[in-house]
Order: sequence, then C-alpha cells, then structure tokens
Amino acid sequence: MRRRSILRQVLASTPGKLGVAMALVLGLLSLIVIVTFPLDFGPTQWSNPAIWADHPKTVPPAWTAALTGDAVEHRILETSEPAETTERGDARVEIYDMAYEHGASEAPSFLSFSLGDVRFEERPPSLSVTLLRPDGAAVPLVRTTIRGPRAGEEPPYQRHDETPLRVLLTSEPETAEAISEMLAETYGLNVPASVIENDTVGWLFGAPDEDGRPAPLAGEYVTQVRLALAAPDDEVAWLRTVVGGTVFGLLGTDGSGRDLARGLAFGLPIALIIGIAAATISTAIGTGLGMLSGYKGGRIDLLIQRSADVINNVPLLPLLIFFVFVFGAQLWLILTLLVLFSWPGLAITVRSMVLGLSGSQEVEAARALGASSRHILVKHIFPHTAPYVFTSLIFFVPAVILAEAGLSFLGLGDPTLPTWGQILEDGYRTGAVFNGHWWWVISPGLLIVITAMTFMLLALAFEPIVNPKLRRD
Amino acid sequence: MSPSLLRPIFVRAVSLGAVLVIVLVLLVLTLGATGYSDRILEAQVGEELRVMRTGLSESVTDPDAVEEIIAAQRTELEQSYGLDRAWYERLPAVVAQVLVFDLGDARSLRAADGSNSVADIILERMPRTIMLLTTALAINAVVGLTVGVWLSTRPGSRADRFVSYVAAITNGLPAWWAGILLILIFGFWLRILPQGGMYSTPPPEGAIASFLDLGWHALLPIFTLVLVSIGPSIYVIRTMTLNVALQDHVTVARAKGLPEGLVRRRHILRVAAPPIVTGLILGLAATLGGSILIETVFAWEGMGQLYFKTFSGQPDESIIIGLTFMFTLIYVAARLLLEILYVFLDPRVRY
Repeated sequence: MRRRSILRQVLASTPGKLGVAMALVLGLLSLIVIVTFPLDFGPTQWSNPAIWADHPKTVPPAWTAALTGDAVEHRILETSEPAETTERGDARVEIYDMAYEHGASEAPSFLSFSLGDVRFEERPPSLSVTLLRPDGAAVPLVRTTIRGPRAGEEPPYQRHDETPLRVLLTSEPETAEAISEMLAETYGLNVPASVIENDTVGWLFGAPDEDGRPAPLAGEYVTQVRLALAAPDDEVAWLRTVVGGTVFGLLGTDGSGRDLARGLAFGLPIALIIGIAAATISTAIGTGLGMLSGYKGGRIDLLIQRSADVINNVPLLPLLIFFVFVFGAQLWLILTLLVLFSWPGLAITVRSMVLGLSGSQEVEAARALGASSRHILVKHIFPHTAPYVFTSLIFFVPAVILAEAGLSFLGLGDPTLPTWGQILEDGYRTGAVFNGHWWWVISPGLLIVITAMTFMLLALAFEPIVNPKLRRD
Repeated sequence: MSPSLLRPIFVRAVSLGAVLVIVLVLLVLTLGATGYSDRILEAQVGEELRVMRTGLSESVTDPDAVEEIIAAQRTELEQSYGLDRAWYERLPAVVAQVLVFDLGDARSLRAADGSNSVADIILERMPRTIMLLTTALAINAVVGLTVGVWLSTRPGSRADRFVSYVAAITNGLPAWWAGILLILIFGFWLRILPQGGMYSTPPPEGAIASFLDLGWHALLPIFTLVLVSIGPSIYVIRTMTLNVALQDHVTVARAKGLPEGLVRRRHILRVAAPPIVTGLILGLAATLGGSILIETVFAWEGMGQLYFKTFSGQPDESIIIGLTFMFTLIYVAARLLLEILYVFLDPRVRY
C-alpha cells in the first residue's frame, strides 16, 4: 500500500481525523515549549524557590474568578519614577506611589515589597514603606536601611543587583503592631497584635465589622515608599510591590507558589520524547529479534522465544518499582527497564508473521535468485510486517507515558525533570485531594489522558488498514 | 484427563516455575550486587545498637564499658544477620527458603494478631487485594459479555461506535488518576463516599456491620477498576464475537434454519469463549501490578499498598523478596490456570 493512500485512509475515519489533529497540536505546543523554555528548566527554575517567592501558594486558576465572580487578581506593580522629589542640598527624598484598586470580598493572599539595583556613594539609602488605605488610614509597614559599606570596599557601592531585597510585608511582626495601632486610632478598637497575626492580610485590607472582626474594605490602596538618598548619583533602580492574588494564571499554582501552567507545559515535550523514544527502541528490538527468531530458527529462535516467554510472564510494575528503588530514580534507567520489559510481545507476533512469510512464493523466488538472508529480511519480509509494527509502535507510546506517570506518581520519577506524574504526586502527597485543590491534580492527569488518547486514536485509525477485517463499511 | 492433555500442562508448569526461580535469582542478585542488601542490614544493626546504647547509658556509667558491650553486641548482630559473610554466600539460602514458602520474619511490621512472620503479614493482606480485583473482574465479565455480545449483533451502529471511542479513551486513562478524581468528586465534593481506607473510624461493632463497612469502603476502588477496564473489555469481547459471527459455519448454521438463540450460544459464543476467557484472566493479572497504585490511592491495606510502603519507608528485605515472590507467583498461577482452562474450553488444543 502506498504511503499517501495510507494517510488518506487514516484521515478518512473520525478517530484518524481527531488523532492527527490532536497530534499536530501537541507537536506544535511542545515545539514552542522546547524553543522558549531553557533546557535546564527543572533544576534552575522549577526547583528554585526564589523564582516562585512572589507567587500565591495553592490558589486556583485565574479563570475560576469568572465562575465564582469574586477573586483577587494577582498584581505586580513596578515603578522607577518617583511621584514626588524633595531636595535638601545633595540629599533628596523620593516618594514612590504604587496604587491598586481592591474590590473583591476577600483579602489578597499576601503583600510583598522588593527593590533592586541599588547604587550609593557614601551613606546607604534608607527607606520606609507605608500602606495608604481607602479609609484614609496609613499603616507604616517597614523601615529599613540598605547594608552599608564593608571594610575594604570601594565606592560606588552596588547592592541587590543579583538578589533583590524582598520583604513579605504581611508576615512581618511589625505589620501586626502597626495595624493594631491604626485600628486604635481610626476605629477606636483595641485589638492586640497577637490576634491580628492570625489574619494579618484580612486586617490590612479590611475594616472591623460590628463583631469587631475584619471585613473586606474596598477602594484604592497605595503602597507608598519614601526613599532617602544621600548623594546626587545615589539611586534605587526599581521598586516593586506584589499584591498576591487568590487566583493565578491559566492553571493555578502549587504549594510552593509554582505556576502549574509552566511546569505542565514543560512536561509535554518530556512526555512525548519519553513515550516516542522508548516505544521506538522497544519496537525496533522486538521487530529485530522477532525477525531473527523466525527466519534463523534453531538455537537463536529457542533462546529468543524462551527469554520472551520469561519476560512476558513476570509482573511488570512490582519489578519496575523494585529496580528503580534499588538503582535510583534516573530517567534513562526507567526507560531502559521499560524497553527491556516490553519487547517480547512484538517479538513473538513478528516471529509468527515471519514464519508464515518465509514460505511465501515471494521469498522463495528471491531465494532462488540468490538473494542474501539480509536482503530477503529487509526487502521481502519486513515490508509485510511494517504496518503491524507501526501500529504497535503507536499503541506502545501511551503505554510508556502511562507507565512513567505511574512510577512518578509513586515518587519514583527523575527529580531533575518535572513530569506530569511528579507534579500530580507532589499534589497528592501534600493532600491536594483531601483539601480540594482540584487544579493541582486534575490538569496533570488530564494532560496525561489527552496525550495517551491522541496515540490511542491514531492507533485506532491505523488498525483497519493493518487488519482489513476490522474495516467498517 | 488423558495423558495427552496432562503433558502440555506439565511442560507449561515447569516453564512457569522457571520464571519464578529466574525472578527470585534476579532479585537477590540485584539486592546483593548493588550493596542494597548490606545497607539495609547495616541500618538495622545500627538501629538496634542505638536503642541498646540508650538503654545502657542509664545503667552503666563507665563510657569505656559501654563501648565494649556495644562492640561485642555489634559482632554478634552482624553474625546473626549474616553481615560477616559476603552477599553471595548469604543470599542463596534466602532463595531456597522463599521457594518453599519460608518467607522469614519482618523487622518492624506486624500482622493484626501481632505475628511478625512475613507469610502471616502477606496472607493477611492477600484476600483484601484478591477481593478488590476479583469483584471488579466479575462485574467486568458480566457487563462485558452482555454488552459486548449485544453490540456484536449491531456492528457499525451508533452504540457500537460510541463504545469503541469510550474504549479508546479509557485505554489512556490511568486507573490511579481516575481513582483520585472519583475521591475528589464523591469523597470531597459530594461527601457521600469515604475518601479512602478500609474501615470507618471508629470501626463498627459486629461481623455483619464490619463487613458492610468494608464493602462501603470498597465501592469506590472497585468502581474505579471497573470504570477504566469496562470499555476495552466490551470492545474486545464484541470484536472477538463479531469475528466468529462472520465465519462460514455460522452462516451454515443459520442456513440450516437453527433458531437464532441456539446459533448464538452454540456456534458463536462457544467458539469465541477461549480467547475471551484468556483476555479476562490476563486483564486480572495485569491489574495485579496496578493494585500497587490503586491501593496506594485508596489507602486500601492490601498487598500492593504494602509493597509500596516497604520501599518508601524503611526497606525490609524479607518483605520485599516475599512480596515480589508472591506477586510473581500469583501472576504465574493465573497463566497456568489459563492454560488448563484453555484445554477444557477449546477441544482443538491437543498439542
């Protein structure tokens, strides 16, 4: 059968159309991921807590706000232009305002402040951060000075050019104290700081209700920074305040604040590469050994068939777990084991196909013409088994993806590569199911299912071509 | 049974027995050659000595005396665990023992009656796993046969196409994830079924209440197992039945004017039975490995959960070897059973 007509037949069936379309989408997406993500995304980004510090932890996807109608959007406000500057000789005080509307009926998940790229000549800059609330109250949050010159260090001094100075305002003890004072002044309410600490964010973005508990206070909040600089060339290049959302991104975040959309996106090419690589190698070994076994016969046949029989009769998952535990969780090892355990089925089938084919007139004719065994195997026997081999290759891809995901779910995944199974395991282990963190367990599983299903549909479309009996006319 | 029937079964039994021995040897070789076995035992010795040292420090005041007693105890312990011998001298005895079902003692794990024999621990858990898997298999077989045979009379119909899609989708559905999803739906959101475990806390009094409680907790895991395998089962049974239904002898039977019911029972189902039974039993064997995942998800204290726990906590060599042996044994036994059934079901099999 010619290649083009095979493709046309595949596309003629509904599973074929669906499968090809989904495969194209998955292929395109993983290409985008490979191009845009660094290859060492796992160790340098995914497993690096510093990158995810300013993300809300364990919050659902942003689009859920449309369903519930109420959520705090995650906002990052950055500025490098002061709203006001007061000069006093060489020294000056700069005031920066970072304003945001808060309208939701719940408080943000956190409020943080950070700055970076500080440069000074002599005296380190000092700063204070105040939150201006819609009720007119001002809550002084933090007051600090950049670290001064060390012994032997030459000016100008550079600070925080690599790691920014970051303060998680809502977990500082001073914040609770300041809120307590603010409540006493503005509302005449006496709430000790130790009580406020239980719900700092709620008090910071709320006003007391009749019961003296914090109720959300809507309106414009301003994080105001007063920066005192001693020399004209002194500067703080950027300031940032992050209002932690109660929803985040396309797929939400995990318990460390990691953006699940990014982790899961990186998992796509990994899953495809793992599946296709292991399936191809295993199919090649299975076909090769099957052809050898069927064509050569004798001792080689016996050896291959006996080994195939043994491997076919052992329970795969317990042994896989055993070996991965003993040898350590490395991806190449997991793939090698999967290949070692999976070639026999195909080898047995190909052998019986070859046995049938080697008596055919075509092969006899080729042999009579003096063709070598190799030539006969490659040119006269393999082409007849090819459609079957190809279909089992496609069938095998999802099997590998599911096996890897299963192992990862047991905590046996390669820790340097974030796979879907590992993200799921992470969620499951930290109680996502029992706390209702559905976004953490549904999306990785759904991606596994969609990817596996794509290959299942392709195989389903190929089957009638290989086995015309199954054609539905 | 005539000798002509016994011989092939005997040959098969021998080769499956060989599988069992090969797996065991492979296990022990791996445990020994990688030093894993030594590490487990050394950790065990270290732990026992630590406990002893704490005890001694209360009664014996002279630190040198303590060290002396500890050193003597260490040599004794190392001897009793066989650490003074190389693994290739120590482990062959383990293989021989396991093959005669002498599975040894567990270190810290105990059966419900307090026994520390690995055989007792495994035997306590095996029925729980078997119960889960066989119930799911039975439901699968009944529904699969009913719907599959019905579909085979309507190839290409809307229902037929629907089932083929469901089969394709559920083929790519990992049972453990389906389980998580169902726990989320029924256990967390709707709160109508338990989120896991085998009994309620506190466990109910009385045998009947206790059994009902067990069944209540088994509902979701069994449903999960059925959910992921029912589509493919129906599809496979439908295809096998259809293949037979298209054969000439069925046409002949119909042409003879035999009633449709008789044609279906004697001429179609009887012929399709052997491969269908094979498929079902092989499916059961395949879920045996999958039970490790399912039982972990549902906190179902069967063999699979024990297997995973043995590795993830403090590895216990006797449990690892004993359980892997039992898994392989059940797997191999299922194959042998199949072989025997096949001879009965398919009179053409005479080797």
